[in-house]
Amino acid sequence: MINKVSTALKRHRVLDIVGFLAVVSAILWVVVKGAENQGYHWQWFRLPPYLIQWTEGRPVFGPILRGLAVTLNITWISLILTYAIGLVTALLRLSSSFIGRLVARVYLETARNAPLLVQLYFIYFIIAPVLGIERLTAAVLALSLFEGAYASEIYRAGIVSIHRGQWEAAHSLGLSTWHSYRHIILPQAIRRVLPPLTGQAVSLIKDSSLVSVLAIYEMTMQANAIVSQTFLVFEIYFTIAAIYLALTLALSRLVNRMEQRFKLEH
Amino acid sequence: MDTRGTEPVIIDVDRICKTFANGVAALDHFSTKIRRSEVVVVIGPSGSGKSTFLRCLNGLEEIDAGTITIDGIPLDHSKKNRLEIRKEVGMVFQAFNLFPHMTVMDNITLAQTLVRKKSKAEARQTAMELLTKVNIPEKADCYPDQLSGGQQQRVAIARALAMRPKIMMFDEATSALDPEMIGEVLDVMKTLAREGMTMVVVTHEMGFAREVGDWVIFMEGGRIVEEGAPAHFFTAPSQERTRLFLSQIL
Repeated sequence: MINKVSTALKRHRVLDIVGFLAVVSAILWVVVKGAENQGYHWQWFRLPPYLIQWTEGRPVFGPILRGLAVTLNITWISLILTYAIGLVTALLRLSSSFIGRLVARVYLETARNAPLLVQLYFIYFIIAPVLGIERLTAAVLALSLFEGAYASEIYRAGIVSIHRGQWEAAHSLGLSTWHSYRHIILPQAIRRVLPPLTGQAVSLIKDSSLVSVLAIYEMTMQANAIVSQTFLVFEIYFTIAAIYLALTLALSRLVNRMEQRFKLEH
Repeated sequence: MDTRGTEPVIIDVDRICKTFANGVAALDHFSTKIRRSEVVVVIGPSGSGKSTFLRCLNGLEEIDAGTITIDGIPLDHSKKNRLEIRKEVGMVFQAFNLFPHMTVMDNITLAQTLVRKKSKAEARQTAMELLTKVNIPEKADCYPDQLSGGQQQRVAIARALAMRPKIMMFDEATSALDPEMIGEVLDVMKTLAREGMTMVVVTHEMGFAREVGDWVIFMEGGRIVEEGAPAHFFTAPSQERTRLFLSQIL
């Protein structure tokens, strides 16, 4: 009986892999065919220098990897800001202060209902000159404000999902609202919303490509520049797509691990 | 009231009213006086206002009218006042409400260090003493979901006691427990009563009320229908409503 089940499972596995390969080949075939029909000449051999160059026998990052470094830089600073802005906004929205709730509400509606592109332009052309901030800072600010609005809704959902009894127990022990949040509510809420918060980080990585409109040489901007000089459209864009994919997958894996650890803790 | 001993009044509730947003009047000009070291048992059908009464005593619910004075301090719902009251009034809930992400030890030491400003070592020592008192010192490093319901409730009692409150309130503390675990929690409550703790107990355990209670209050519709010493209350209730309720529950 057990043998039968395990062979069935194995066969299932094999079928799964065959199916997966079939889908991948089909997609590849469509891409290659589509490119051929446009008279596209694949020139993958021209790609490596844009990733890594050799000068005086030493490896130097090509423009794509230099762009990746800028992308990572923008992303991690924006990510920290996103999570901070999101948390503060969520707490304001749930606070008893009318002004606090109003500010949070106005910010949320603006950030979520205007396109990111418009927000980028707005902050770069209107806010940045007033505050005297440079291009990169403006980009990070715009990204964090945009993603922060979504993160705040995630936090809020997590916080209100914690049972009222936890608040009551904390209050009945004499804990202040701040102490209750800090020690009782947030540790439980954040654990619950870790998966959607990661989703937000993945969005952030992808959305960071939009800051190329401010002529910041992150990965997408570098790709645009290379493509306009070399017409290696598919080679370059597929490459950076693969790099974005690798980044976001690595991030998801990391968070999965973290979740497992939290679970094992009790 | 004079039959209730000579200890000073520690809880003085004077004509409090509480109406919920949905229009239900949970407390309707409710008054009572509770003396130090007294065990007062509050009974009544569900929705009679007994839990609301407890929750008003430590400010979890705000009263609409009337006054509550606890150990000489009137409740005024300012932040500072609430904190002062809650330090003196411990509460045990029907659903335990332990903090699931913390060990038993951390559950008991958290408020001691944050609110009572005790050192970690001092708080841990108090926690161990209390865990010994509720008979589960070996569970200090467990998480709440590794404990049975009865054990969780005993931890919750220890957590409340760690604040060294003058008054302990029990809101149907045994209602969520399997029958075989009710005894272990009631035993802890009995010990507390014997030690002279002032206790306000909302419960359906009539055996406990009879054995440990000094005074029984029967509530319905946010008012006191009848009250008295248990010996008299359970054997010769004067109100028809009380007789009916007791006949249903006993």
